[in-house]
Amino acid sequence: MNRYRFAKNIAIGAAVVLSLTLARAADDLPKADTILDKFIEVTGGKAAYEKHHTEVAKGSFSMAAMGIKGDVVTYRAEPNKSLLEIDFGSIGKMRDGSDGTVYWTSFAMTGPHVKEGPEKAQAAISARFNQELNWREMFKEVKTVGTDKVDGKDCYQVQLTPNEGPPMTQCYDKDSNLLVKMSMTAQGPTGEQQSDSFFTDYRKEGDILMPHKIKQSAPGQEVVITFDSVAFNTEIPADKFALPDEIKALVKK
Amino acid sequence: MRLSLGVVLTVALSGLSFAQPTLTPAQRQLNVDSFELVWKTVRDKHWDPKMNGVDWQAVHDELLPKVEKAASTDEARELMSDMLGRLKQTHFGIVPAEAYKELDQKDDEGKSSPSEGDPGLDVRLVDGHTLVTFVTPDSPAAAKGVKAGWEILRVDGKELAPGMAKVHAAFGSALMAELIETRSVEERMRGPIDKTVDVEFLDGKDRKVKLKLGRTGPRGTETVVGSLPPLHFWLDAHKIQPDIGYVTFNMFFEPEAVASSVQKIMSQCGDCKGFIIDLRGNPGGLGGMAMGLAGWFTSQSGLRLGTMYLRSTSLKFAVFPRAEPFRGPLAILVDGCSASTSEIFAGGMQDLKRARVFGTHTAGAALPSMFTKLPNGDGFQYAVANYVSEGGKPLEGVGVTPDQEVKLTRHQLLEGQDPALDAAVSWIHGQKD
Repeated sequence: MNRYRFAKNIAIGAAVVLSLTLARAADDLPKADTILDKFIEVTGGKAAYEKHHTEVAKGSFSMAAMGIKGDVVTYRAEPNKSLLEIDFGSIGKMRDGSDGTVYWTSFAMTGPHVKEGPEKAQAAISARFNQELNWREMFKEVKTVGTDKVDGKDCYQVQLTPNEGPPMTQCYDKDSNLLVKMSMTAQGPTGEQQSDSFFTDYRKEGDILMPHKIKQSAPGQEVVITFDSVAFNTEIPADKFALPDEIKALVKK
Repeated sequence: MRLSLGVVLTVALSGLSFAQPTLTPAQRQLNVDSFELVWKTVRDKHWDPKMNGVDWQAVHDELLPKVEKAASTDEARELMSDMLGRLKQTHFGIVPAEAYKELDQKDDEGKSSPSEGDPGLDVRLVDGHTLVTFVTPDSPAAAKGVKAGWEILRVDGKELAPGMAKVHAAFGSALMAELIETRSVEERMRGPIDKTVDVEFLDGKDRKVKLKLGRTGPRGTETVVGSLPPLHFWLDAHKIQPDIGYVTFNMFFEPEAVASSVQKIMSQCGDCKGFIIDLRGNPGGLGGMAMGLAGWFTSQSGLRLGTMYLRSTSLKFAVFPRAEPFRGPLAILVDGCSASTSEIFAGGMQDLKRARVFGTHTAGAALPSMFTKLPNGDGFQYAVANYVSEGGKPLEGVGVTPDQEVKLTRHQLLEGQDPALDAAVSWIHGQKD
């Protein structure tokens, strides 16, 4: 399960602007690469991640304020294939995926869409399998910029600047070094959408410690995703990552 | 359907008055708590931190003491309504508890009563007269021979004109008046399926006709969207002429059904000269569907229908072109009962000069709004965003002005004509290939 992945692709609307609290001078803070590498260690270690080549996660989605619930399934495979499916019931099924080259979204409500520019760059980061291990390739700069509090506990804020697009900020618990919060600005045709995502309910799936609940705050609404099961190295049918016909038609245009 | 719910609530409440005994201290406190909740909600959630130029704190400080002294809940409600009225914006209102209960008709499981129905009539107010504009085939009204163009005079013995005059007096200056008045009439005819409704008409020969009409379940299939009560959705897509495609649906829900129907008619319409989207009577629904629908009618990337502004962000209504969109003339039909997403779509396509709009002025009710129950039992409606069409004009309170205004007349309805549709067809045929 990829921590970046859900927060970006499930974003609907924009989130509350994060107020950064620079509690200490940057020089006093642990280095960002240390925090990011330590995250790999505390969640299972590099070897544990490298054993995985595919991942299927299943769970549920809810927007309590609107009374909307649905089922969520994500499929992921090395190196950068992905498919997210959310079934919103009468509102329809949203699919968001990558065949490794084309990054796309298909939702009957808004129509099919092939991502380009900054939106594509963000999608490429999201689709990267085991991105925790590969942050050095995806971000041109990482730095610890301060501290924050999440649920009353201190966390280190790490700002990650991708090769293209605006930086994102991740907050790692001071004690456990687990990722507890991510703030980012999603880029796309509907404009810039800011969001805060909170990661909780860390539990082991195989050898990896993973968050099973992700809460995303956006103006006027809150999205909660809960994962019930995660399976690694299961065989995913090859056509699962194939482009839908309507996306193929758009690519051909 | 929050809009229509709100309209229904508002209408049902007009004219209701409840004598109240002196308030107990507890009731008085509930009114104060309600006032505070309304005030804070607007302060925290209104899209404009400047509250449309109103000194919101000063309003609070002025009215709170009056609410504390209010001798009745009616009086407290009037003060809350006064506070909201100072925003001079629609979709802000207080609905009395008695009416809120009526309009929020849910059983213990949160579902609307399945036994509610109507005789199968669409109505519009035309020059102060309530006219039947459509009779649902195979409905109780159709079985009794009711025709488009007939005027409704009385429902269950109650004359419509005075009630409509009251509603018109209250809302007549607002663009939403037609929507409110129409919904009011339709609500009067709604009721239990196992009971009849007495309707007196003026038929096509100006004769008074009294009919006892049965009721049938709403047209279409039931759909449930989030916490909204169950809704009934219907859609009709076909060629109205060999060279003109036509799509109409009663509300912007069931996006997959809309998409598949549009796709199907598009596939049959490769050689069509024009296309018509009929949004008359469509009160809106899921705002995002305007984007999806627009994508069937343009090949140009990067277009937007408009922008929705919330307190801390904005959402651009981007258009995602389909692979093989329809590029020919597009006509959109609207009327005073076209609201919300209908206006977003029609106004945006008009601004983009991709469509020609026919009919009458829309409702000017585009703001997304929420309902919540207040501590004193009243309902509270508030808008959470503003919407500006791509051409730069806000739709709220302004609506969409048709490129070609086409008003209904009783004579045309009686003749079986549909003047707005006829005008659109004529325009399409007049376009160069």
